[in-house]
Amino acid sequence: MAVQVSESDQIKQFKEFLGTYNKVTENCFMDCVRDFTTRDVKPEESSCSESCLQKYLKMTQRISMRFQEYHIQQNEALAAKAGLLGQPR
Amino acid sequence: SLPALMKDLMTNACHRKCVPPHYKEAELTKGESVCLDRCVAKYLDLHERLGRKLTELSVQDEEMMRKAAVGSG
Repeated sequence: MAVQVSESDQIKQFKEFLGTYNKVTENCFMDCVRDFTTRDVKPEESSCSESCLQKYLKMTQRISMRFQEYHIQQNEALAAKAGLLGQPR
Repeated sequence: SLPALMKDLMTNACHRKCVPPHYKEAELTKGESVCLDRCVAKYLDLHERLGRKLTELSVQDEEMMRKAAVGSG
């Protein structure tokens, strides 16, 4: 049976997606688009932006992963302090 | 939300510190990856330290103001 994602979670996810979308556009535009002698996006600007996008996503994934690891560690430390972790058998 | 804001700021900071805007390839280099890991660790550490110090200073500040108010009674 598929797990239903609650509506508020879906909205949260979508908001996060929009945030990322906007941030990556601004970021890659700033770094890759240099030529304003034309309205057309040049091929090198386009390929730079695509690499930029992929790199940005990999970066945010890695940071998220480390961030989560940190929180898990923090929670374990708190639980240990509160004596909730059992004694090793 | 507060953790989301912190994560946003941290992502920005580590991006600037670790990923030069060259984009020849779509992959993170080994160096960039290691830098990001270290950056996250340092950022979170600093966040904690500054949080403790800030709390300490705010408490001191409050104490001073309280005493000043009592003194001028």
